[in-house]
Amino acid sequence: MADLFDNLSLGFAVALSLKNLALCFLGVLIGSLIGVLPGVGPVATIAMLLPLTFGIDPVGALIMLSGIYYGAQYGGSTTAILVNIPGEATAVVTTLDGHQMAKQGRAGIALGIAAIGSFIAGTFSTLLIAALGEPLSSVALLFGFADYFSLMVLGLMFAVVLARGSLPKAIAMILLGVLMSTVGTDLETAQERLTFGVPEFADGFEFAVIAMGVFGFAEILKNLEAPEAREVVKARIGRLLPGPSELRQSAGPIARGTLVGSVLGVLPGNGAVLGPFASYMLEKRLAADPSRFGAGAIEGVAGPESANNAGAQTSFIPLLTLGIPPNAVMALMIGAMMIHSIIPGPQIITKQPELFWGMVAAMWIGNLMLLIINLPLVGLWVRLLKVPYRLMFPAIVLFCSIGIYSLNNSAFDVEMVAAFGLFGYVLVKLGFEPAPLLLGLVLGRLMEEKLRQALLISRGDFMTFLDRPISATLLIVTALVIVLAALPAVRRRREDAFQG
Amino acid sequence: MPLTAPQPARTPRGALKSPQDFAAGLFLLALAAIGFFGSLGLDFGRLSSIGPGFMPRTVALLVAALGLLLLVQSFLWEGSRLERWSLRGPVFVLGAALLFAWTIRPLGLLIAGPLAVLVAAAADPRSRPLEVLIFAVVLTAASIALFSVLLGLPIPVWPAVLDRWL
Repeated sequence: MADLFDNLSLGFAVALSLKNLALCFLGVLIGSLIGVLPGVGPVATIAMLLPLTFGIDPVGALIMLSGIYYGAQYGGSTTAILVNIPGEATAVVTTLDGHQMAKQGRAGIALGIAAIGSFIAGTFSTLLIAALGEPLSSVALLFGFADYFSLMVLGLMFAVVLARGSLPKAIAMILLGVLMSTVGTDLETAQERLTFGVPEFADGFEFAVIAMGVFGFAEILKNLEAPEAREVVKARIGRLLPGPSELRQSAGPIARGTLVGSVLGVLPGNGAVLGPFASYMLEKRLAADPSRFGAGAIEGVAGPESANNAGAQTSFIPLLTLGIPPNAVMALMIGAMMIHSIIPGPQIITKQPELFWGMVAAMWIGNLMLLIINLPLVGLWVRLLKVPYRLMFPAIVLFCSIGIYSLNNSAFDVEMVAAFGLFGYVLVKLGFEPAPLLLGLVLGRLMEEKLRQALLISRGDFMTFLDRPISATLLIVTALVIVLAALPAVRRRREDAFQG
Repeated sequence: MPLTAPQPARTPRGALKSPQDFAAGLFLLALAAIGFFGSLGLDFGRLSSIGPGFMPRTVALLVAALGLLLLVQSFLWEGSRLERWSLRGPVFVLGAALLFAWTIRPLGLLIAGPLAVLVAAAADPRSRPLEVLIFAVVLTAASIALFSVLLGLPIPVWPAVLDRWL
């Protein structure tokens, strides 16, 4: 316990430096600003803002990026409440009761309780990361090559099960990502693979380029086809701070949502996406009068919003302790870390304690800033929401182009973004969900390396994956997950959940 | 922007029951073929020491298998119809990015910026010419201030010709 406090005080010493505090503030502010815009999710936001962090030292850059992430996440909830458009999957549930509250002139209270719930959830999950970080990474250090490989297989399988749409299509996306990760120079033999003679491909595909193309640009193309139906709530925003009775009503849901969201967020594979759904179901079941749900019940905002933020936070755990990104946002974070030549994984915590603990402390500070920034700025958000899409998307195109160009000062990268934008558009049209592709892309090289090493040690015997207890357990869990997901009953529920 | 696209009405049609899955299967097969044949020249290695060709070819085969599965599925199970593809959006939005890529070095942000905004805006029939023009100028000024002045990114601002001159 004493260790924990030592570590946290180291973290706060790093995070509370004037520069890092300013970066955290800027990140949260800009993240909220962009995240509020309908049709711009956290992945696109982070991809777009990545270049802002190039000139900063690694710790500062990661602090700012996580700030951007929380900001974008909370901005998405603001949009869900005020315009009934979920910025991303995790905010879908918030539209149900949040928007109803807004229509009744209680938008302020919905936003207020969302911010308060998020802050409480953020505080709890930050402590959880601090407590679990060290033990988990010491477990991870016991992992052999085979165990690592199996862990990645498990993580990818979870991601498949939790993606929307058909299972074979989601698995295909992961594999395509892995296939794309092999493009470039082979690490062992220095032979060029799948470069087709293009010199720019020798270093492999730039991660941010693919993310921006497949998420940023393809998203614009998708949005342009949907007729714009955006109705910013016309009722008064009303007071922001919930009264005592509303706080009493929300206390239980916030506590339960925090727990549910924290646990689900740790799952490798995008567990965080389930948190808000699970919390909403739970609150509805516990409620004395379930019919209030869907008609502006404050519990239906407080619970899921807390779960949302808790999951967003604890999904950093697999990234920071194992080096395995559980979702597309974390995959981008890995990309960002690599730009700053940090190799994510269990060694971070021991080799770069100031980075790990600084980030943990900055997470809590970021959550506090979220609360302080967002409440007074609600008026500004409402005005931003009125910016029509016809002006928004050309601006996004310009910022994305500048951002990608600045990545390597390469005009070729910008051309690649356009190509991947087209690729992403085709994926959408053919009913593929692109998020698993990013995970496969990020993990592909690492998986190949571990597979190669594991097989080298076992002299080509595949049984090594089943002989080692850790690896065998992970693979059995993987098999169970696949079987469960294929069961008709679970399949139907899974479809229901993603329909919102 | 709805999170899940509205599913087109499902009507029974001939032998092909899910055109979208059929097209998706073909798409996967095509990509798998690129991956497989593109890496044929690389050494596959042995299991005890896998070569650079192992991963691309194995994964390409798995992708192909899933492509085939989708093809078979599309004849067995009802599924979505192919959605309408639009041309205007992709042409202008992606065209704007390409144009930016080609003009940023020779002409600088001062010209590449507004050009990209104007071309992108043409993707939406609701765009208003005057509004877009003003917006393009303001956005370019703002991004020069932010990226070049404030953040100091080495992005060309002036046309290369002028730059040599100044």
